[in-house]
Amino acid sequence: MKSTILLWQKQMKKAIVHPEEIVGMLIQPILWVILFGVGMRSMMSTSPGNSNEDYMTFVIPGIIALTAVGAAITGGSTWLNERLNGIVKEYLAAPIPRISILMGNATSSVSKVLIQVLVILIVGLFMGARLSDNPIGWLGGFLLIAGFGIGFSGFALSVASSTDSSEGYHMMIFLLQLPLLFLSNSLYPLESLPTWMRIGAYLNPTTYVVTGFRQITLDSVPSMGPMANIPLWLCFTVTFGFAVLGMYLALKAFKKSIK
Amino acid sequence: MKEARIDVSSTEIITKDLSKTYDDTVRAVNNLSLKIPGNTIYALLGPNGAGKTSTISMLTTMTKPTSGSAMVAGYDIVQQADRVRKQIGVTFQEIVLDPDLSGRESLIFHARLYGLEKTERQKRAGELLKLMELEDAADRKTKTYSGGMKRRLELARGLITGPSVLFLDEPTQGLDPQNRTNIWDYIRDLKASNNMTVLLTTHYMEEAEALADRVGIMDKGEIIIEGTPRELVDQMGADNIQITGTGNKDSFEERCKSLKYVQSVNSTNGLIQIGVDSGNRRLVELIELANKSNYSIEDVSVSKPSLDDVFLKYTGRQLRDK
Repeated sequence: MKSTILLWQKQMKKAIVHPEEIVGMLIQPILWVILFGVGMRSMMSTSPGNSNEDYMTFVIPGIIALTAVGAAITGGSTWLNERLNGIVKEYLAAPIPRISILMGNATSSVSKVLIQVLVILIVGLFMGARLSDNPIGWLGGFLLIAGFGIGFSGFALSVASSTDSSEGYHMMIFLLQLPLLFLSNSLYPLESLPTWMRIGAYLNPTTYVVTGFRQITLDSVPSMGPMANIPLWLCFTVTFGFAVLGMYLALKAFKKSIK
Repeated sequence: MKEARIDVSSTEIITKDLSKTYDDTVRAVNNLSLKIPGNTIYALLGPNGAGKTSTISMLTTMTKPTSGSAMVAGYDIVQQADRVRKQIGVTFQEIVLDPDLSGRESLIFHARLYGLEKTERQKRAGELLKLMELEDAADRKTKTYSGGMKRRLELARGLITGPSVLFLDEPTQGLDPQNRTNIWDYIRDLKASNNMTVLLTTHYMEEAEALADRVGIMDKGEIIIEGTPRELVDQMGADNIQITGTGNKDSFEERCKSLKYVQSVNSTNGLIQIGVDSGNRRLVELIELANKSNYSIEDVSVSKPSLDDVFLKYTGRQLRDK
């Protein structure tokens, strides 16, 4: 635990000394909301039964999931670099648990995401998204995103532990990232999907993160459609299962890489 | 069991049939059995690919042995890996520094990984930066450091936790000769003032000769021969004394041949090569003998066999590709 905090601190400090990373981190979600959110909204609202506010409220969790995946990929990239230039050896020789090394990376990715989530919510509010009245629900939403971020960080770290090439890493991650984002109800309601995609979406943890977020953080239940009527406890269970699975795979790949 | 520390009195590193096989086929380390006493500098000398780094990786608990066992600082490297890690310091073959941290930050971060208290780690970081003559650069990012400075910082990092065993994998790789001898001085001083065991690997014969109390020559995953550098070289036998001069050469050569300690006398193109048991001891006697024989010496040199020759003798190959 102590060593996780220490490694988290190191990664955060490294981010702070690079102002371009901070600026990019803050501007990127704004662009997503304004360009993607508004663009999609104008398309969606031409179909009957949808208002502008509804789609913005609907799509915010999707943009947040997208951002979380982006941060995890960057974290995996950092890990690959640290592995390739040997910095990981310093951690390996130190009297700290292996998992804390990976958790240091994942938690720092998540910290960056949570800052971005805050920015997205604020910009989203200006764009007409409706927040839930319950502050506890906001916290719950942050918790869901943290779990999702840890989980996908785990996947990114396991890929970054299994390859020695940056190109290979990005190719592999791309293959993971696309279905995870688009085979879910993060950007469009489940009702609008063909059956095979809907089945895929039900198997995808992203659906549960996004649906849970919509239920407790935003006031977007009406826009989700009856098919997304997933109980909250299941959303949390799947999300944390995903987090544990991700870190387990990361640890396994990491241990294999140092044999 | 995990708490037990076996009292090994003065032996800091013991390996027993230690082996490492990669991908089920490549046998990097083959039944290595070593005893390295405390408070010594031990050099594993061998060409690239001899298994030196694999040996260090196992002893520093970075990888697990395929078979065999080892104790470092009294703890088993597999069963008590965490305890071993607390006792050791390591520097790696490649330079492993975070380019975005300053020298001081690198040391402090490392000390925190090992759980050193705040006042303690700041004090030690300051001391080591001073010792390594890095005070002026202490708060600059390490990406601005020269190769020699980076190596010195890594040495400081290896030492900040006060290890009882220090592992240095190719500590002077990539340095110019001046920086290399500099690092040698630091290592010698450190060992003298810290009472610790240093295990270093090198493929520089000069490095092993200059630094090590004991040398193990390693090739193809095995220690071929070990001993003090002196013992290893001395067992090569004859020193060579080379003499040129004018005068009664034949008489001098005849008298040389009759001496008990002279093993061979060869004369080519006016150069007399005399093989003796110990060059340094016999040089004066031979010079006196030349005077008595009316042979006046113009030039004389003694060449000692080197660890390179030892390696050549046991492997039939030169240590370095020439």
